Amino acid sequence: MIDPHSPAHFSRRRALQGMSAGFGYMAFSGLAAHAAKPDAYRNPLLPKKPHFEPRAKRVIFACMRGGPSHVDTFDHKPDLARNEGKKIKGRKLMPSPWEFTPHGQSGLMVSSLFPHLAEHADDLCLLNGMFADVPAHPQAFVQLHTGSFQFVRPSVGSWVLYGLGTENENLPGFISLSPPARVGGAQNYGSAFLPALYQGTAIGTLRRPIREASLKNLSNQRLKPDLQRKQIDFIQAMNRDLLDRHEVDSQINGVIESYELAFRMQAAVPGVMDLDGETEAVKEKYGIGAGVTDDFGRQCLMARRLAEAGVRYIELGHGNWDQHNGLRKNLTRNCAGVDQPLAALLGDLKDRGMLEDTLVIWGGEFGRTPHVKKDDGRDHNHTGFTFWMAGGGIKGGMRYGATDENGIAAVDNRVHFHDLHATILHQLGLDHEKLTYRYAGRDFRLTDVHGNVLRDILA
Amino acid sequence: MKSALPAGILAAMTGPLAGLPASAPTAEQIAYFEKRVRPVLVEHCYECHSAEGKTKGGLRLDTREATLRGGDSGPAIVPGKPGESLLVAAIRHTDEDLKMPEKKKLSDRAIADLAKWVAMGAPDPRQETAGADSFVVQEIDLEKGREFWAFQPPVEAPAPKVKAHAWPRSVTDRFLLAAMEAKGLQPVADADRRTLARRMYFDLTGLPPTPAQLRAFLDDDAPDAAGRLVDQLLASPHFGERWGRHWLDVARYSESNGMERNFTYPHAWRYRDYVIEAFNKDKPYDQFIREQIAGDLLDDGDAPGSTAEERLVATGFLALGPKQLNERDKQVFTMDLVDEQIDASTRAVLGLTVSCARCHDHKFDPIGMEDYYALAGIFTSSRTLYGTQGGGGNRQASGLMALGEDGPGLEKARQEHQKKVAAEQKRLAQANKRLANLRKQAARSKARQKEAMEERMDEMREQTAELKGRLGELRKNAPPLPAYAMGATEGGSPGDCRICLRGDPKKRGPQVARGYLRVVEVASAPPPAGDASGRKELAQWLTSPENPLTARVMVNRIWHHLFGTGLVRTVDNFGLMGERPVNRDLLDHLAVQFMDDGWSVKETVRRLMRTRAYQLSGRHDARNFEIDPENRHCWQMSHRRLGAEAIRDAILLAGGKLELAPYEGSVVQELGNVNFGRQQANLDGKSASVANHRSIYLPIIRNAVPEALRVFDFAEPSLIVGNRPVTNVPTQALYMLNDPFVLEHTGHLAARVLEEGGDASRRVDRAYLLTLSRRPEPSERERALALVDAIRTGLDTGDQAERERTAWAALAQSLIGSAEFRYLH
Repeated sequence: MIDPHSPAHFSRRRALQGMSAGFGYMAFSGLAAHAAKPDAYRNPLLPKKPHFEPRAKRVIFACMRGGPSHVDTFDHKPDLARNEGKKIKGRKLMPSPWEFTPHGQSGLMVSSLFPHLAEHADDLCLLNGMFADVPAHPQAFVQLHTGSFQFVRPSVGSWVLYGLGTENENLPGFISLSPPARVGGAQNYGSAFLPALYQGTAIGTLRRPIREASLKNLSNQRLKPDLQRKQIDFIQAMNRDLLDRHEVDSQINGVIESYELAFRMQAAVPGVMDLDGETEAVKEKYGIGAGVTDDFGRQCLMARRLAEAGVRYIELGHGNWDQHNGLRKNLTRNCAGVDQPLAALLGDLKDRGMLEDTLVIWGGEFGRTPHVKKDDGRDHNHTGFTFWMAGGGIKGGMRYGATDENGIAAVDNRVHFHDLHATILHQLGLDHEKLTYRYAGRDFRLTDVHGNVLRDILA
Repeated sequence: MKSALPAGILAAMTGPLAGLPASAPTAEQIAYFEKRVRPVLVEHCYECHSAEGKTKGGLRLDTREATLRGGDSGPAIVPGKPGESLLVAAIRHTDEDLKMPEKKKLSDRAIADLAKWVAMGAPDPRQETAGADSFVVQEIDLEKGREFWAFQPPVEAPAPKVKAHAWPRSVTDRFLLAAMEAKGLQPVADADRRTLARRMYFDLTGLPPTPAQLRAFLDDDAPDAAGRLVDQLLASPHFGERWGRHWLDVARYSESNGMERNFTYPHAWRYRDYVIEAFNKDKPYDQFIREQIAGDLLDDGDAPGSTAEERLVATGFLALGPKQLNERDKQVFTMDLVDEQIDASTRAVLGLTVSCARCHDHKFDPIGMEDYYALAGIFTSSRTLYGTQGGGGNRQASGLMALGEDGPGLEKARQEHQKKVAAEQKRLAQANKRLANLRKQAARSKARQKEAMEERMDEMREQTAELKGRLGELRKNAPPLPAYAMGATEGGSPGDCRICLRGDPKKRGPQVARGYLRVVEVASAPPPAGDASGRKELAQWLTSPENPLTARVMVNRIWHHLFGTGLVRTVDNFGLMGERPVNRDLLDHLAVQFMDDGWSVKETVRRLMRTRAYQLSGRHDARNFEIDPENRHCWQMSHRRLGAEAIRDAILLAGGKLELAPYEGSVVQELGNVNFGRQQANLDGKSASVANHRSIYLPIIRNAVPEALRVFDFAEPSLIVGNRPVTNVPTQALYMLNDPFVLEHTGHLAARVLEEGGDASRRVDRAYLLTLSRRPEPSERERALALVDAIRTGLDTGDQAERERTAWAALAQSLIGSAEFRYLH
C-alpha cells in the first residue's frame, strides 16, 4: 500500500493509481475484469485516510474580500470610545459607530451589525488576534488562500483535496462560489504544482450574482440525455475494444471511468446547485429573494447543499469590504448582506447535525485601522484583525487572542494565516507538517516552515 | 577544496575577531562581569537572545562565543571598541532601526556599565554550552559533491555486447537491449506501419497524418521508409511549433505576469516565435541557450546565423517570469526577480534547483549560499525589461527593448514626443484653471469690472483653444512606434552581490564575487569581471562541453518527449533528490553524441526515432510486465496521451478548419498593455481571429489559460514544467461531450463526410480515417451505423437534413471522444 502523504517520489502513475485501494471502489460491470489487474485504474480523488481521527469532514469558508473592520464587528474595544479623537501615529481614533452587546450564555460581545449571527454567539470562536504580513489586498488575499504571497503555491482547498480526496465523486471536491477575478484570480483556488485534478472549481465570479452562474459543459445542446447515453455507450464500447487490444492500460480505464463520472455529474451538479427544491420557508430563512441578502443567501444555501452532498472544501465570496470611506453606509450594507444568511447556515447545519463536523470560517485578507479617514472611513490594517470559526470541533462562545486597547495590533495569542491553515488541516485530521508534496526536489507544505495548531480553541 | 562559508558568516564582515582577550579574564574582571553585566543581560536580554529563550535576529547573548559571533546584523560586540559595537549602539537607542530593549530603554547606569565592559575587552567567563550552537552551517564538501554521477562528465562507453545481434538498429538500441537482456526482458514486436505513422506525425509535428499523407507512407515500399518520413517531418515548419512548445513549458512562457497583479506582456509572443524558429532551423542548442541568457552581448561571430534582433528577443527568457509588481520595496522586488531568473535558468538548463540556496545552503546538493549569490550578482548587474503598464497597483513597471536598427532612435523620439505632450497638457491644465478662476471672480464682481473681466476671459478662451489645437496636432503627429520585445540588457548596477541572510534582502552578509556553481568547474569560462554583468561568461559556463549537466539534461528532455518518460524521470531535477538514470551509459552516449553533432536537436531526434526501440509496438507482454511493469527499459512503446495542443489541433484538422499558417503576433498584443483582471471578455472578443489557428498561437494568460488547453493538463505557465502531469478527470469527458468548440468542429466533420458523398458505410470509413487514421473493422462499422440510426430516429426536432447532420455529428464526436483519439499506442 502506498502512503498517500509520503514524501517519496510522487509520480503521475502513482497519482493515477490512487491512494486508497482499500476502499473497494465499485467499478461498473464491464470494468470489473480489468480492475483486478495489477495496473488497474483507481480514481485519485477517492477518499483517503487522514493522519488521525478528524473532527471535521469539510470546510465552508466565507471569504470577505476587502478586509472587514474588526473594531466595528467582532472585536469589542471599549477603550476606543474613551480615546475618541486621540491621535496615535499622527491620526485620530474613531470609536465604532455601532454598539456592542453581550450575547448567549457566553456573553460574547458582538456589534449591532450582526444581530442574527449574535444569536449563535455560543457557537462562535472569535480569533481576535489575527495578523498578516502585508497590508495590500492582492498579496494578503493570495497569502490567505495559499500561504505565500511571494510564490505561486497550491491553495488551501487543493491541499485538502490532495490530502483527503472527496466524498462524492459526482461533484467537484473543492468549489469556490463567486471568487474575485482580481487579487490573484484563479491562483486563489489553483493547484499550482499539485496535479491539476486538485484545483478548485469556480462557479460564478464576485462581480456577478450567483444565480446567473453555472458550471461549464454540464449540458448538451445537441442531444437529450437518453440519446447522449447512447452516444456514451458507443464511446465506451470503443474504449473497451481498445482495452482488449492492449490488455493492460490504466489510462484507458481512466477514460472509461471519466465518462461515467461525467454523465453522473451532469445530473448531480445542477441538482445540487438548483435551489428550487427548497421550501419557501428555508429560502426566506436564508434571505433569498430579499434584496441585500439574496446573493449571499443563495451562496450559503448552496454551501449547505454542497456540504450535504459531500463536497470537501467550499468557499463563498462576498465583497467589497474595503471601506476607506462610506463606512457607516457600506459596512452596514455588507453586514446586512451576510448576517442573516450566515446565521441561517449555522442554524441549518446544526439542525441537521452537521455543524459538529463542518468547520465554518469567516474572515477577510486583513482588518481595518481604528483610525478615521475622511470622517467616515478606515484604512487597511494587517497588524490586527478578526476571524471567527464555528463547528468542526472548535470551542464556541469564546474569544481567542486580542488586539491592543485600540484594536491596532494583535498583542495576545496572535494568529497568523499559517496558524489558521495548520488548524484547518488539523481539524480535518491532517498534520500540516506531514502533508507534503515533492516538487522541484523539495517537499512542500501548505504552511512552509511555519504554523501552529491553535490547541486552545479545540473542543 | 572546501567551501568557506563557515559558522560565522558574519564574522567575515568585520574581519577576524580582533581584540579577543588574549588570556583568561582576571578575577576582578569576572567580578565586574558577574555584578554589572550578567544581571543586565539575564534580566533584559535573555528572553529574546538566548538558547533558553528566543534567538531573535539570529542573536544569542548567553555565551561568550555567541555574543562575539553576533546575529544577522553582525557581531554584537567588538571587544575594546564600544563605539563600534552594535550591542552598545542598540542599548543607547542611538540608531532609529536598532533600539534594544525595544520598549523600555535600560537605565543610564546599566548602559554605562555595559559600555565600560566592552571597553575593557569584554571579559566573559561564560562557556559555550553543549549543542548550543545553532548557527553552524555545514561546510560543503565540493570534492565529495563532485563524486555524484550528475557532476561527473559524461563518458562514451563502448557499445555493449548483445545476444540478439539482429535486433538493434543502432548503438542506442544496443545499450537498451543489453540492459533488457540483463533483466530477462524481451522487446515486443515492431509497430505496424499505420500506428507508426500516427506516432511519428504527432511526435514531430503535433498533428496526425492526413489520409493522403498516410497513404503515401503506407505505399512507400523502400526499406528505409520510416527513416525517410522522419527526415521529411523534421523539415516541416510544424516541427518548431511542436518542439518549440516543449521548450516554452520549461521557459514558463506566458503573455501576462500572473500573481496578484496580472498585467499583460503584449510583446511576449516575439519570444514564442523566436523559439519556434530556433527549433525549425535547428539552432545549435548551446547557442540557443547562450542567446537566451546573453543574446544582447553576442555578435555575429558568437552566434552565427542569428540576427541581432533575434538575439535580443531571445533574452525574453529572463523577463517572462511572474513578478510581484505590487511590491513597494525595490530591493525586495529585485531579489525576487533575480531568484526567479536563477530558478528558471538553472532548472531549465542544468536540472538543478539552485534556488534552494537562497536562504540557506542547499540541503541536498553541493550548492551553497555563496554559489547562489555568485549567480545573483550576475543578474543584479543586469537590467530586466518586461514593460507592463504602470499604476493601478503596479509599482514596478519597466521599459522594454526597442527592436530594429531604427528602434532606439524611434524609442527616443517617442519619449521626447511624450514629454512634449505632457508639457502641453500641463500648460492647458493651467490655462483652464486660470479661466475657471476668472469665471468665479467674474461672478462675484460688479457690472463695471465685469466688462474688463470678460475681455480677459475671452483672451484666455482663445489661448486654451489654441493650446487644445496644438495638443491635438501633436497627438496626431505622434512618431511611429518601434517594435518592442522583452528581455535583459546590461546597465544594472554592475558589481558583486552581498549575501541576504536567510534570504532577507534587508539583512546583508558578506559580498560574494560573481561566478558560477563551484561544484561544476569549467576551465574555459572565466569568472565575470569589471563592468560587464557576467551574463556572457555565465552563458559560456552553462554551455561548455565541460559542463556535465547541460547536454545530459537536454537529451533526456528529448527522450522524455519521444518515449513518454525520461531516462532520468525527474527531468527538471538531476540533483541528489532527483532520480538516477535508468541507463546511464545510454544517457552519456546520447549526451556525447549530441555535443559531437554540434548540439543539433534534430540530429538527436532523428537518432532516437530511427531506433528499433522507438518503432516498437505498444503491445502488452505478461512476462516483461512482471519484471518491468513501468517499462523503464523500453521493451514496448509506452502509451502516451496527446498533449492539450495536439488534441485541440487534431479536432480542428479533422473538421477541416485548421488554419496551418502561423498566427502573426498575438491577441494579447491587440489587447495591449492592461491589467488583465477584468479583461477576460475583451480577450474573448478578440480571440476569434486566432480560433482556428494552432494552439501554440493561442493567448497564454496566467490564471486564464484557454479552456481547451487547461482541461488537458497544459503546463502551468507560472512554473517550470519539463514533465506535464497527465490526468484523467470527468471535466475532460464533459469537455468532449458538451463543449461548444467540440460541438462546432464535430459538426464541421459531419458536414465534411456528408458532402464528400458515398453511401453510409463509406462515410463511416471516412470519419474513422479522419479521426483515428484507420478504417473501422466490419463490426465497428455496423456499430457506428447503428449509432447514427439511433440518434437520427431519436431526435424530435429539426427537419430530416438537420437530423441527418446531427446524427453524423454525434458519431464524429464519439470518435473524437474515444480514448483511441487521444492516446498514442
